[in-house]
Amino acid sequence: MKTINDPEFKKILVCCGTGCQANGSMAVYKALASRLGPDSGIEVSTYTKATGCNGWCEQGPLVKILPDDITYCHVEPKDVEEIIEKTIKQGEVVKKLLYRDPVTKKQVRSHHEIDFYRKQHKIALRHIGEIDPASLDDYLEAGGYQALRKAFTMSPQDILDEIKRSGLRGRGGAGFPTGIKWESCAIQPGTDKYLVCNGDEGDPGAFMDRSIMEGDPHTIIEGMLIASMAIGAHRGFIYVRDEYGLAIINLNLAIRDARAHGYLGMDILERGWAFDIEIVRGGGAFVCGEETALITSIEGNVGEPRDKYVFPTEKGLWGKPTVINNVETWANVPVIIQEGAEKFSSIGTEKSKGTKVFSLVGKVVNTGLVEVPMGTTLREIIYDIGGGILKGRGFKAVQTGGPSGGCIPAELLDLQVDFDSLTSAGSMMGSGGLIVMDEHTCMVEVARYYLNFLAGESCGKCVPCREGISRMLEIVTGICEGRGDSSDLSLLEELGETLQVASSCALGKTAPNPVLSTLRYFREEYESHIREHRCPAGVCRSLTEFYVDPELCNGCGLCVKNCPAGAISGEKKEPHVIEQEICIRCGDCFNRCNFQAVKVK
Amino acid sequence: MAGEASCFQAQIESTIQNYPGEKRYVLAMMQDLQRKCNYLPREGLEEIARHVETPFARVYAMATFYKAFSLVPRGQFHMKVCDGTACHIKSSAVIIDQVYNTLGIKPGETSGDGMFSLETVNCIGACAIAPVVVINDKVYSKVSSSGILEIINALGVNVDEDHQ
Amino acid sequence: MKIVVDGQEITAEYGESLLEATRRAGISIPTLCYHEAFKGEGRCRLCMVEVNQGGRKSLVAACTYPIREEIEVTTSTPSIDKIRRNIIMLLYKRASGSLLLQKLYHEYGCPETKLQENPEERCILCNLCVKACEEVGASAISLIMRGTEKRLATPYDQAADVCVGCGTCARVCPTGAIEMVEEDNLRAIWHKKFELQACDHCGKYYAAKAEIGYFAEKHPEFDHPEKLCETCRKRELASKFMEYNTNYPGRV
Repeated sequence: MKTINDPEFKKILVCCGTGCQANGSMAVYKALASRLGPDSGIEVSTYTKATGCNGWCEQGPLVKILPDDITYCHVEPKDVEEIIEKTIKQGEVVKKLLYRDPVTKKQVRSHHEIDFYRKQHKIALRHIGEIDPASLDDYLEAGGYQALRKAFTMSPQDILDEIKRSGLRGRGGAGFPTGIKWESCAIQPGTDKYLVCNGDEGDPGAFMDRSIMEGDPHTIIEGMLIASMAIGAHRGFIYVRDEYGLAIINLNLAIRDARAHGYLGMDILERGWAFDIEIVRGGGAFVCGEETALITSIEGNVGEPRDKYVFPTEKGLWGKPTVINNVETWANVPVIIQEGAEKFSSIGTEKSKGTKVFSLVGKVVNTGLVEVPMGTTLREIIYDIGGGILKGRGFKAVQTGGPSGGCIPAELLDLQVDFDSLTSAGSMMGSGGLIVMDEHTCMVEVARYYLNFLAGESCGKCVPCREGISRMLEIVTGICEGRGDSSDLSLLEELGETLQVASSCALGKTAPNPVLSTLRYFREEYESHIREHRCPAGVCRSLTEFYVDPELCNGCGLCVKNCPAGAISGEKKEPHVIEQEICIRCGDCFNRCNFQAVKVK
Repeated sequence: MAGEASCFQAQIESTIQNYPGEKRYVLAMMQDLQRKCNYLPREGLEEIARHVETPFARVYAMATFYKAFSLVPRGQFHMKVCDGTACHIKSSAVIIDQVYNTLGIKPGETSGDGMFSLETVNCIGACAIAPVVVINDKVYSKVSSSGILEIINALGVNVDEDHQ
Repeated sequence: MKIVVDGQEITAEYGESLLEATRRAGISIPTLCYHEAFKGEGRCRLCMVEVNQGGRKSLVAACTYPIREEIEVTTSTPSIDKIRRNIIMLLYKRASGSLLLQKLYHEYGCPETKLQENPEERCILCNLCVKACEEVGASAISLIMRGTEKRLATPYDQAADVCVGCGTCARVCPTGAIEMVEEDNLRAIWHKKFELQACDHCGKYYAAKAEIGYFAEKHPEFDHPEKLCETCRKRELASKFMEYNTNYPGRV
């Protein structure tokens, strides 16, 4: 039987996560798989696998070849023949498909040598990009379900103690100690208990959970199985965003295979333990990521949260004790049981153990998923791993924690990322989104964007959130459109405070964070909009005017080609001019110009 | 609209018979029905309410609360423009404007000829290839303001530049 | 159990809401979305109070907070007063057409702001009408959509089959947001016109025929051969009482 680690076989791993698929990787996979099929006539034994998201979507479609440890980028179906002729048959590298480091200009053979991967420490993402997520065999060969077998030799209290000692904290955003959550459910009387995996990843810009559900679904099943034994639960639910089509398919396949091989069902591994999992698809509501809204959604209602004076671990789904954990949290559990709490807690900071998966996106060179130990600095993540800011522009801020979080300015780039440090900087860890912003980002508009997002997602049940968010949006929109006045900022702060203390759930309570943190660090930008009717970043259209600096413009015409309004004119190689009356201030030329010749007045 | 109702009867029946008559399956039934009919027909919602013995008003409330659903028929080409943060700062708003300028539809609307409908969606999770537009499950990456025009044209519809 | 509210000790039952316990003791906490017929849902947030649980202070909604320990409660602090003022301000701006909100706006001393107001709106989304209709057993209305688009409606904004025109929703509404118009023998509510029943004794129109039929079906044990309005029904009951008293003096 073929095994992943068998040196006789060449393994070709084609990334088929959503990002690479959007760039045509499925066609590459099919071409390779059919050419290298059983009647290929090629002497070398191979097998080709479609894997989950490698997290480096910028460079996809990615193809990795083992054991040679070669990584090819931007692969197209037309490259398949050459890969087979040179690399598979002769072990030679196809140079043009290698990654070229933009700084050293050198070609790199393996992704292991690239900073983007080298500096990561993968625990939650350990299997992704290495295995075929639809294959139980792959999971088993990579060491899967060994932690489960070990857990069968432990008592429920042993398992709880191990998770507690590891220091694992919830990876969904709140960072609550997982072991304590499990224990508070375990001590509840009764045998009707539930486990839930929160796969309703809604933070815009975050796709960690999608990648795990698509690329390594069995790790979630294994994590939940281990918890079921510690807590005494027999039924689990995985609540997945309906938009994550591939994740739902792969989770369903994994559950089907797990059942067929005795990992789920009435008599798991013939040890007499019963546990099974059902998938529930979300309906397009960000608020359902909040645990009480998620519970009521599973029960068959609109997703309105409840006041949480009694926790779900005591009264949750259908009034029964329920543990809800995020996808990434579940993915860490098998590793903690298998390798022990000490090893896990040796990574990270004093109060934030282990690693965290971040989705590094925005104006950064290497966008993608990054898993690093807690305590890594923002600078290391953005510059060493992320490769710095696109087009060599200046770093302005990094937004963390999604709509519940805040913006962190340049002076805090050496912040060691962990739960508590981000909170004291006025933001929060959240699910792990890191949106990098450059000087072309208007921080007032960012606040407006998040308020707009939350206004559409608020369930509408309680007054502070429903009314407060839309009124804060009204004020900030007015500022962006040049109608701001001196009373706006204090009104924003007062409304923000009311939302923080009086809202029924975390959506409302954290809704003011983007506004309050941008006011804290970028107040002068608000003042500029209000007093000078000017948007320094050149984003707010009615407060912006673009012009071409004739000293810097070389007349390349790139802007003209892409201007949707046809507002730019000029002769080839002569400085161009923007016609203000026609210009719609979309900012395309400003962002596109390779010579920084388009400026904001 | 009786003719329209009866042409979905088969889809409604085949959806409902897959699920027990319990309230907790309402979401799943609506998702299946939406996929089959390209929207949620009224008769379908009424049948679901009867099947799970829940008041019609509550099922209707769910159909309007969860944005995955549409109560009006969607276009043959349903465009989902991602307005996640990464896409937003790479100017997804410009794409939405361009669609309005060429097809005359805003998010939530369907064009008069039933060919196109537009929706803004929350982050699809493909942030590295922002801005992203998904049309009938096909993902388009790094879509620019001129790029969206090319895509619409390529779908076989001639775009009138002076469209109101 | 005993809890202390604004320095006063009151009795409470384990698990009951703080609002229920304080109301029973005659302590007043302002509310808008609460009705003693239903469990609190914490929608308006006007009833926020400060709870001290063994040294740990937090702000909670009294209508949903279950009493499970001997806590100390403070119903008014500068911080709480500010919250209530802002909530009333937000609701007033949403529905400045409501007389109740106009009154509260002045009572709470809400400061003027530049925020837009909507004098056409009266609904504050307290959900009492929906719960009342559910209790009646019809469930003809619900809160649809979400966020600021959330509103009260019948499905598709059309006449609901299950609506019996009883008007319970309009009666329980604190701001008079539900339109119920009676003209001659017709009551117009929720996109339908209901024929009204005239009282067999005094001729006054007192309820929708559909409503009477609905209740008769649900509770046949209360059905009466004559259709009487509330006044005439009481009069009849009183006369029966009188008759009984006359025939059997001293026995009530």
